Amino acid sequence: MIEICNLTRKFGSFEAVSNLSLTVLPGELFCFLGPNGAGKTTTIKILTGLLRPTSGTTRICGLDMQIDPIAVKKLIGYIPDMPFLYERLTATEFFQFTADLYEVPQNKVPLLCDESFRLFGLLDCRNVLIKELSHGMRQRLIYASTFLHNPQVLFIDEPLVGLDPYSIRLIKDLLMEKARAGMTIFLTTHILAVAEDIADRIGIISKGKLIAMGTLKELLALNNECKNLEDIFLHLTENDN
Amino acid sequence: MAAFSSLIKKNRYQLINLHRIIKAQSSFKIVFTLCFALFFEVGLFWLFLDGFNFLHRMGGVGLIIISKLFDIFFLGMGFMLIVSSIVSSYSTIYRSDEIPFLLTRPFSISQIVLYKFFESTGLSSWAFFFIIIPFICAYGYHENMSAAFVVWNFLFSIPFLITCSGIGTVITIIIVRWIPLGRYLRIPGIGIAVIAAWFLIHELLKYRSITTESDLNLSMLLPGFTLASNPLLPSYWISEGIMLLTGGQWLNGVMFGIMITSTSMVICISIEWVGQKIFHEGWQRLTNGSSINERAPVMLWWLQNILLVFPSDIRAIVMKDIRTFFRDPVQWSQALIFFGLLALYFSNLRTFRYHTFPENWRNTIAFLNVFSVSAVICSLGARFIYPQLSLEGQGFWILGLSPARMSRILLTKFFLALSCMLLVSTSLMFLSARMLNAAPIVVVVAILLVCSISAVVCGLSTGLGAIYLDISQKNPAAIVSGFGGTLNLVLSLCFMLVAIIPFGMIFHLNLLHRMNNHQMYNSLIIAGLWLVVLTVLSIITPLYLGLKTLLRREY
Repeated sequence: MIEICNLTRKFGSFEAVSNLSLTVLPGELFCFLGPNGAGKTTTIKILTGLLRPTSGTTRICGLDMQIDPIAVKKLIGYIPDMPFLYERLTATEFFQFTADLYEVPQNKVPLLCDESFRLFGLLDCRNVLIKELSHGMRQRLIYASTFLHNPQVLFIDEPLVGLDPYSIRLIKDLLMEKARAGMTIFLTTHILAVAEDIADRIGIISKGKLIAMGTLKELLALNNECKNLEDIFLHLTENDN
Repeated sequence: MAAFSSLIKKNRYQLINLHRIIKAQSSFKIVFTLCFALFFEVGLFWLFLDGFNFLHRMGGVGLIIISKLFDIFFLGMGFMLIVSSIVSSYSTIYRSDEIPFLLTRPFSISQIVLYKFFESTGLSSWAFFFIIIPFICAYGYHENMSAAFVVWNFLFSIPFLITCSGIGTVITIIIVRWIPLGRYLRIPGIGIAVIAAWFLIHELLKYRSITTESDLNLSMLLPGFTLASNPLLPSYWISEGIMLLTGGQWLNGVMFGIMITSTSMVICISIEWVGQKIFHEGWQRLTNGSSINERAPVMLWWLQNILLVFPSDIRAIVMKDIRTFFRDPVQWSQALIFFGLLALYFSNLRTFRYHTFPENWRNTIAFLNVFSVSAVICSLGARFIYPQLSLEGQGFWILGLSPARMSRILLTKFFLALSCMLLVSTSLMFLSARMLNAAPIVVVVAILLVCSISAVVCGLSTGLGAIYLDISQKNPAAIVSGFGGTLNLVLSLCFMLVAIIPFGMIFHLNLLHRMNNHQMYNSLIIAGLWLVVLTVLSIITPLYLGLKTLLRREY
């Protein structure tokens, strides 16, 4: 579903991502971990078309973002760590706007809106301007609108930033449910407990290079002296700090 | 296409919601803003009409100037639109938070660029119409034009606006993509710049080479007349087309209409093409490249060393503000445009042969230049000094929690702004007076006036910026266009008038021989004392109120 082949991205002489290759399978929830500045966000930005690779290729559902960007964008969803929302729209209007963008049939939008807003606890603020919503509510709204077109591949950069425990539980359950239903999810996080809880596979990147990848069990087996993911992460990336 | 139309629908929603936002504002603010806009429009209309009447009374040259003014006006507006579009399209197309959002949605890059271009044009259009409406009304009224004149102006203005704004946008896209130049483009780029500079100097020297009075004619005196009548320029098409259609010459008038409309369409296609080809590279360069460039470990270390004589908290604030300013191309490029254009005009005063005018005229022009410099000071105060506290943003709590007293923070901001403003405004005023060979008394008064206006604008902008602090807003344009920003601009302009008019009246009465030199000097001393009192009060009051607001505030 996501194929990254020899991906390199340079900023001047600095190599943010270096010869990265990995594959994420359909319906897999893949957690991409790494210290600050390791290249996680750069990788996600390349996969979502925000950045272009210096070399190497990325394919989403068999399509190359550089060759057919519109087709790829219709298949993916992206939630950045600090998402942009149109502050002068109401929650419903933003939802409607997203539906229009992804050509969701008009007659289905009200029902989808109801269901989605109920699920994310947004019903009470459906007609409130986004600028008046709290950070948590904005995050919920961006999730609701991202799931609207039922993307086959979802990219999330720091999915739980600024959310309360209820919202965290909601998002974690939802992501696992979506993955079970066949959605491929590629997320980055610094909260290692989240990765332990929900990831099917984990990749660790350091200084632009993939230094470990596998299920939690596989990673633990490879690092005998480590008891949990935190130990593995700190052990593998200690040279960074 | 469905995706693109969804953007149009989104804009419609935003427009509908505008009334909710306006309703949330206090009615005093709305009435104040509307009254100011109306007052401004009526004032401009009166000013333009008075100018036309003055030229009419002059007869001869005055009448020729009136007939050419329409061409000149659109030439000037076109130039201003291109410059303002370069600035506004940079922030709208490249610095907008919306771009990453749109790039990850099913839009082609050309669609995104075209959409943001129209948004940028919309932003510049209100100012364009704000200025042309009183001019057109005054011109039409003075020349007894029919109502059709206004209609044709409106219809021609739209493609003209798109054309000029589009040229600015294309320039911006090209600049962002290639400047600063890479290793291979640097030498050809410098070569082209040198050739362009040589051409400009060569053209200017043509006017300087005229030495005898008999060589003077209207087109030499005002080179803009020749340029404005160039049939290859869109500004000429619009002015000619409007005049021909108003005069009932349909065929030729429509031809000019078709020319300007088709040009605007070609510009749109060019933006789409250029956007598709190079926008993304430029955007990446801007958003990701800059942070990786190797920089000196400490910017302006020499200045930091000089500032060692000041306490550390003051030094910290000053250095932070200066570094932030120089690292933000939007900030320094706009300041450069503001003062650069004025410096260019002043340094060419001799090219336009103003220094050969009689002494009274030279003194009058020198005094009128006080208005130009003061107006730019007011604009700079509104654009750069007023939002500086708000732009500290959520990080304001760092200052709030620091051991530095709030009064020191505020005064540091004030004195830093004042030092920079004085440096530029007095240099400009001195340049203008030097070029015009103005009388020493005029030079002294002009420099004192800009010093006083600089100080008051800095005091007002810093004080009101503290009173109307908005740390949630990241966009300086939004901070400036708020109530506090508008109030700051209005008060600055009012002070400018109150400070300048007494001196202007004294020089004017002396020019008309209604006041002898002795009386003039006495009056200047009284006006000077009035200016000192007014200046001190206008600085202290807003700073005091601003400080009280900051101390009361919770972060």
